Amino acid sequence: MWMLQVENVYKSFGDFKAVNGANLSVNKADLVAVIGPNGAGKTTLFNLITGQLKPDRGSVIFNDENITALPAYQICRKGIGRSFQIANIFPRLTVFRNVQVSVLSQQRKSWKLFYPADKLAGEETESILKNVGLSDKARHIAGSLAYGDQRALEIAIALGNEPELLILDEPTAGMSAEETAATMALIKRLAHSRGLTILFCEHDMEVVFNVAQSIMVLHQGLTIMQGKPDDVRNSNQVQECYLGGAEPC
Amino acid sequence: MLPDLSALGSQFLVGLSRAMILFIVTSGLSFVLGVLRVPNVAHGSLYMIGAFSAFSISKLLGGGAMGFWLALILSPFVVALVSLASERLLFCHLYQREHLMLLLFTFALMLILGDLVKLTWGAEYRSIMAPDFFEGSVSIFGLSIPRYNLFLLILGPLVAIALWLFTNKTKIGKIARAAAVDREMVGAVGINVSWVFAFAFVLGCFLGGLGGALVAPTVSITLGMDHDIIIEAFLIVTIGGLGNMWGAMVGSLIFGLTQSFGVLFWPQFAIVFPYTAVVIVLLWRPRGMLKSVW
Amino acid sequence: MKSRFKSFAPYGVIWVVLLFLPPVIPRFYTYILTAIFVTALLAMSLNMVVGHGGMFQFHHAAFYGVGAYTFSLILTKTSLPFWVGFAAGPVVAAIVGLLIGWFCVRLTRLYFGMLQISLGSLIWAIAFRWYSLTGGDDGIHGVPVPDVISSSISAYYFILILLTICLMIMYAVLRSPFGMTLQAIRDNPERCEAVGINVRRHQLLGIVIATFFAGVAGVLFVVLEQSVFPDLLFWVLSLEIFIMCLLGGWFTFAGPIMGAAIMVSLRTFVGIYTEYWTLILGIILILLIFFLPEGVWGYVLEKFGSRPYGRVERKDVDASGGERI
Repeated sequence: MWMLQVENVYKSFGDFKAVNGANLSVNKADLVAVIGPNGAGKTTLFNLITGQLKPDRGSVIFNDENITALPAYQICRKGIGRSFQIANIFPRLTVFRNVQVSVLSQQRKSWKLFYPADKLAGEETESILKNVGLSDKARHIAGSLAYGDQRALEIAIALGNEPELLILDEPTAGMSAEETAATMALIKRLAHSRGLTILFCEHDMEVVFNVAQSIMVLHQGLTIMQGKPDDVRNSNQVQECYLGGAEPC
Repeated sequence: MLPDLSALGSQFLVGLSRAMILFIVTSGLSFVLGVLRVPNVAHGSLYMIGAFSAFSISKLLGGGAMGFWLALILSPFVVALVSLASERLLFCHLYQREHLMLLLFTFALMLILGDLVKLTWGAEYRSIMAPDFFEGSVSIFGLSIPRYNLFLLILGPLVAIALWLFTNKTKIGKIARAAAVDREMVGAVGINVSWVFAFAFVLGCFLGGLGGALVAPTVSITLGMDHDIIIEAFLIVTIGGLGNMWGAMVGSLIFGLTQSFGVLFWPQFAIVFPYTAVVIVLLWRPRGMLKSVW
Repeated sequence: MKSRFKSFAPYGVIWVVLLFLPPVIPRFYTYILTAIFVTALLAMSLNMVVGHGGMFQFHHAAFYGVGAYTFSLILTKTSLPFWVGFAAGPVVAAIVGLLIGWFCVRLTRLYFGMLQISLGSLIWAIAFRWYSLTGGDDGIHGVPVPDVISSSISAYYFILILLTICLMIMYAVLRSPFGMTLQAIRDNPERCEAVGINVRRHQLLGIVIATFFAGVAGVLFVVLEQSVFPDLLFWVLSLEIFIMCLLGGWFTFAGPIMGAAIMVSLRTFVGIYTEYWTLILGIILILLIFFLPEGVWGYVLEKFGSRPYGRVERKDVDASGGERI
C-alpha cells in the first residue's frame, strides 16, 4: 500500500510540456529521491503534488485519497509538508514566529482572536528549532539570516505542520560540501526521530545515492524509471540519459 | 417614461461623442499606466489644466473662432510642459522605488496642481464658447446631433488611429511598448529608459490636456473637475484592460453610453448607471475586457 | 512582563494627560482633539488591512461612510433608540465589508483595489443622488445625538473612551494567532497556503474586523458633528487615510494615530492661515516620500526607540516578532 501515488500526470504551459507522463510511488517511512537534469520538471512535479498547480491529466493519491483537485492548504492539512527550492520564508517575522505560524496553523489555532500568540505553541516551536539547529537564532529577523540558515528555516516551517510526508525541493541547493552533509544528516535524523516519510529532489548525485532508498529518474517531464539506487545506477537507459558521460542529456 | 426611438438614437450619438472625450483622456492614462506601470492620479489635474488653459488662451485671443482653435491646439502643449517639469524635477528620481510610492507621488502632485490651478484661476466657474461654426445640430440618419458632438465623434477615432500608428509604426512608439513589457531589456540594449518614461508620461498628459481642452465648451470649467474625471478614468482603464489602448476605447464606450442612457431613463440616478456597469464588468472579468499590457 | 509595561508607559502618560485636558483648554482645541480621535480610529482600522494584512484596501472610506449614514438614518428616520443606531452602524459597515471583501479577495493586489474603488464609488453615487433618503450632497444635519454625549466635553470623553476600547481590541487581535497569521499572509501568501492556512478566509475576517472599526469611527464622527455628508464616502478621503498610515508608518501599531494627528492638526492650523492647505499637504507628502518612507513614527522608533525596529537587516529583536507599538 503506497502512501503517495502519482499516476501519469501531465502539465503543460502553452506549448511547453513541463511534466509529460510522470509516475511516482512512495512507501511509508521511505526516503525517496527524484533526480533529473535542470528543466526535467522536478519542481513542477512537486507543485502538482502539493497543490500549487493542477495537473492537466493524471491523479495524485495520498493515503488512499485522491487529492488531485484540492487547494494547497487542504493538501497540507492531509499531512503533506513542503519546502521550497528558493527560500520561501516570512522575511519580516522572527525565526521563532516563522515556525510558530506553521505550528498554530497545524493546531487549528490560526483563527483565535483574543488570546496572545506568545502563550501558544511555544514548546512545539522550540522543539522544532532545536531539531534544525536554529534555537540560538530564534529571535533574529528571518530575512537577515545567512542562506544556509534560511534553508534550515524552510525545513523547520514545513515541520511545523507535523507532516506524515515531507517534500523537500532541492534542500541542498547552493550549499558547500559541509553544509550539504550537515543538511542531509539532519534530514535523515528527522526521518528517524519523527517517523517522517521523505521525498526530495536533488542535483547532487552523491547525496542521492548515499541517502535514498528509492530513486525516480525524471527526464523532460517523463519518468524513466523508479527503483533502488543500485538498479538505477546500473540501468542502461538512465546511464545514457543522465548518469553516463560528462553531460546530462 | 419610454422615450421615442429618435430621442434614443440622438442620445446614443451624444453618448458616443462623450465616450470619445473619455477615450482621449483615458488613452493617455492607459499609456502611462502601460509604460510606467503606475496609475497617474494627477491625470485628472492635467485634464483640468487643459480646460482652464483653453479658457485663458481663448480669452487672450479675443474669444472668437481663431481663439478657440488656437486654444485647442496650444493647451495640450501647456499641459505637456507642466508634466515635463514635474517629471524631470521630481518624478524621475523615484523610478527605483516601489509602485506604491509612485502612486502616492502622483496623488501629491494632484493636490499640488489642484491648488496651483486655484491660485492661478481662482475658484469661480469659467466657461468657453465653441465658435459659431458649431452652433446648432446636424441630422444623421434622421437623428439630430449637435455639431460639436459630431466633431468629437470624428476626432475620437482619428486620435485612436494616430495613437495606434504611433505606438506600432514609429521607432519611439515601439520602444515605449517594449519598455512597458520589459524595461530591463530596453535598458540593456542601451536605450535610456528614463527618457522613455519621460516621453511616455508627457505624451499621456498631453492627451489628458487635449481631452480637457475639447470638453471645455461643453461643461462649466471648475475646480473639482480633476476629482470627477480621475475616478471615471481609473474605472474605464480597469474595465478596459490595464495599459491597453483599445481597452480604453471599449471602457469609454461602456461608460459613455451607459451614462447617456442613464440620463434618458432615470436622470436623477444617471451617474449610477456607468458605475453599475463597471461593477458588473469587473465581477465578470476582473482583469478587464481586453488583455492588459502586462 | 516588565519590558511590556515599560513600553506602554509613555502611552499611559499621554492618556492620563488627555483625560485632564478638556477643562483647561479652549473648546476649539477640545474639538480638534476629538476629531483626531475619530480620524485616528479610522486610520488604525485601515492599517489593520493594509499594513498588517497587505491588502490594497483602496476605498476604506466607503465603510466609514456606511457606518455614519446607517447611524444617522436610524436616528433621523426611525424612532429606534440611540444604542440600536450605535450598534447598527459598525455592524452594517462590517456586513458591507464582508460583501465587498468577498469579491475582492478573489483578486490580486491592484485588481482588489480597483474593484473596491468601483464598488465603493457606486455606494457614493447612490448616496449622492438619493436626495430623499440621504439628503444628496447636502447630507443629513441635526442628527439627534443624546444630550448626555453631545456637548463638546462629553463627546470628547465618550469618543476617547471608545477609541481606547477599540485600540485595546485591535492590539489584542494583532497579538493573537489570527493577527500573526494575517501578517504572515501579508509577507508570503503562497507559503501560508503551503502550511495549511486558508488565505482568503483569513483575509476576509481581517477585512470584516477592520470595516467594523471603520463603522465605529463613522458613528463617532456623527456623534461629534451631528451630521453626515457624502464626502465621507468619497474616494479622496480613502486616499487621505492611506496617507495618514504612510505618514505615521505602515508597519508600526500606533503609527497611523500619529499620522491622523498630524494631518488633522495641519489641516486645521494651516487652514487658518491659508486656503491652500492641499498644496502644503502635497508638498509635505513629497518630502515624506523622498526622505521618510518609513513614516514619521517609524523613523522616530528607529532613532529613539529602546528596542530596534523590526527591519529586515536588523538581527536582534525581542520575542514580539518585530512588531512595534
